[in-house]
Amino acid sequence: MNALLWTLLDLLLAAMLLGLGWAAVATRDLKRGVALFIAFGLLLALAWARLRAPDLALAEAAIGAGLAGALLLAALRDEPRHEKLAAAHSRAGLWTLNLLSVLLAVVVAWALLCALEMGEGLRLAGAVTDHIGQSGVSNPVTAVLLNFRAYDTLLELAVILSAVLGVLALGPARRGYGLPGPVLGGLIRWLVPLLIVTAGYLLWVGAHAPGGAFQAGATLAAAAVLLRLGGVDRAGLPAAAVSRWLLAAGLLVFLGVGLSLAGLGYGFLQYPAGLAGGLILVIESAATLSIAVALALAYVGGWSRSGSTQPDSTQGGSH
Amino acid sequence: MNNLLIWPVALPLIGSLLALVWPRRADWAGIGASVAALAVAGLVAADVMRHDSLELAIGGWTPGLGIALRADGLSAALLLMSSLVALATAIYATNYFTDAHKRADFWPLWLLLITALHALLLSGDLFNIYVTLELLGLAAVALAALGRTRAALQAAVRYLTVGLLGSLAFLTGVGLVYAAYGTLDMSTLAGQVRAEPAAWVALALMTSGLLIKSALFPMHFWLPSAHANAPAPVSAALSALVVKAAFYLVLRLWLDVFDVALGPAAAGMLGVLGAFAVIWGSWKAFRAERLKLLAAYSTVAQIGYLFVFLPVLLASAPGAARDLVFGALVLFALTHGFAKSAFFLGAGVVLQRAGHDRIAELGGTARALPVTTFGLALAGIALIGLPPSGTFLAKWQLMASAIEVGQWLWIPVIAAGSLLAGAYVFRVLGHAFGPGEGVGPALAWARQELPALLLAVVATAVLGLGAVHVWSFVVPGLAIGGIQP
Repeated sequence: MNALLWTLLDLLLAAMLLGLGWAAVATRDLKRGVALFIAFGLLLALAWARLRAPDLALAEAAIGAGLAGALLLAALRDEPRHEKLAAAHSRAGLWTLNLLSVLLAVVVAWALLCALEMGEGLRLAGAVTDHIGQSGVSNPVTAVLLNFRAYDTLLELAVILSAVLGVLALGPARRGYGLPGPVLGGLIRWLVPLLIVTAGYLLWVGAHAPGGAFQAGATLAAAAVLLRLGGVDRAGLPAAAVSRWLLAAGLLVFLGVGLSLAGLGYGFLQYPAGLAGGLILVIESAATLSIAVALALAYVGGWSRSGSTQPDSTQGGSH
Repeated sequence: MNNLLIWPVALPLIGSLLALVWPRRADWAGIGASVAALAVAGLVAADVMRHDSLELAIGGWTPGLGIALRADGLSAALLLMSSLVALATAIYATNYFTDAHKRADFWPLWLLLITALHALLLSGDLFNIYVTLELLGLAAVALAALGRTRAALQAAVRYLTVGLLGSLAFLTGVGLVYAAYGTLDMSTLAGQVRAEPAAWVALALMTSGLLIKSALFPMHFWLPSAHANAPAPVSAALSALVVKAAFYLVLRLWLDVFDVALGPAAAGMLGVLGAFAVIWGSWKAFRAERLKLLAAYSTVAQIGYLFVFLPVLLASAPGAARDLVFGALVLFALTHGFAKSAFFLGAGVVLQRAGHDRIAELGGTARALPVTTFGLALAGIALIGLPPSGTFLAKWQLMASAIEVGQWLWIPVIAAGSLLAGAYVFRVLGHAFGPGEGVGPALAWARQELPALLLAVVATAVLGLGAVHVWSFVVPGLAIGGIQP
């Protein structure tokens, strides 16, 4: 009975995902599309949780639904007149595109079925389990991201950096928001410290349970988003010169550790036995700061026009 | 443990971070990192010459569980070319950006682009390659938007969308590969792949993603506006290096990993698209009214040639016959890299001095900018494929091998493309040497004109005259006509 209930729930989840995905793409109203997209992200996080991938669920909820949604809404704010999408394609063109997409989906699904029927060939999950004892952490996801495939993560940090540098190169920050009403202001004053503590917890717990630098960084950035919504133009970010260092910190520490180990006679990013856990925590802490600053800067949209008139705390709720 | 292979990636990345935290010293970080990267690229090439191939298992984990970096003749040759072009372009860039903010924005992104290129060339892991493609794509889009003009921003948004579509297709293919074979390490994978649906669909998805990124006809529509509206040093890198990186991956996948899953028809299809690209790109270049747009369409055509090589290469018998075509292919890619970057840098000088790059109004340029005009002419020789450029030898070998394997069809395409290239290059030179007010008094602008000239000389003379060494470097043990280099 219980299993039947879960199956029904899963089917409902899958159907709602398809429906929300379609609705988000099909709507002509951009704001509505973004709202549907955020809901889609939250349900997708649930789907990941059902697939027993809590790390992915956390990341999807924090980044896919939360920050991506905030970024999209912030982008829409400056385009009030172009909210309605023009009908770019003729009806016939649209249906051709849909047909082609469905065809592609069928071919990929068929190939995937063929692939899964090929039986147990090589699989890496076993190798990860076998070597996790030497990785310095007990959470397999963190072991893969920060040890076995740490080089991927290093380059991912560079990807985030290049994205935010691209945003910064486009010009100064967008204008901020007005002071919030008492309810939002009070909420922000409660939530921001809570988010900062949560980020610290996620960073720390990543060594043996779902969590880690990306989730922690996204949570910290969420605090910055709230601050900006609360009327703090700079979203709690330090001055540009300091922010530049914080942006670079994650990669500097990551590369520094990797190259120092190479200099000491180990391989690049080959952690010595016993030190792996500590080095991973050092790298993740720096990466958390860089990711948070990068996401916050992307949300603010550039360096602030002026640094002088910023209030330094959320005073919005005080009157 | 030999960590040499990490340095071509690490050095530009360090340079990028230094340029980010010290914006006022960014020029020095850029030049320093470029010189250092060129030096280690030279070391990698020297090591490859001694050992044929290099491998670094990062973190000491077996490839598969971990990630391996690898270098062989092909990747080392492209690495050396890209770091040399990057250094020349960096020297050019120190004098290009007059606005301090743009300069501070340029350097970190530029060095991230070089990091991504080097990481891509050295990677031996499919997912890692996806990450390098993302880095390459984002850095390239951000750089293409640096001009901040309306046209540049529109082109950049289109470039971003198309690039993401390509990445997504590639990633889907990678996912399928992992589902089927359980590993992403390319050399492990090479022993596992068989001719079966999962391999076909995965290869088709990855290849289509890469074709979009390498702007093969008819997926070239995004390239001309993106390349022509970017700042000159950025155009040079996008056209000479970035599109070629995607082609390099096609080559790797088709020759090294999925070779058993391929039929001759697949390569023939790419060859036909390449042939259309040669004709269409050359024609559009001939009709272009602006110098940078001409150069961008010329890239569409030259990428076409690279794909024409594929069917001839795969039809040639493994061994000496195939090695000859392969060497010619690499020679062509290298020569185009140098020639196109030289052409774009030269066009940038003209654009800055004259304030426009309308071809019909270039009269007097030869008198005012003799060094740049000479550089453009030399680069043009390599784009047409006249001796002594490397492209001449490469096209010669391509035609000889095409006849050998009975694929006559490509001969008229190559001939027509070369004629059209001759027409568009001489159209530029005709106007440049023609009478006109000119763009001011004759002036040598060393930091900008010399890098362009140097690159053009490499394309025309060095690679052409030293072609034998390229062949023996890329395919060790090959003896060409009894000449042992």
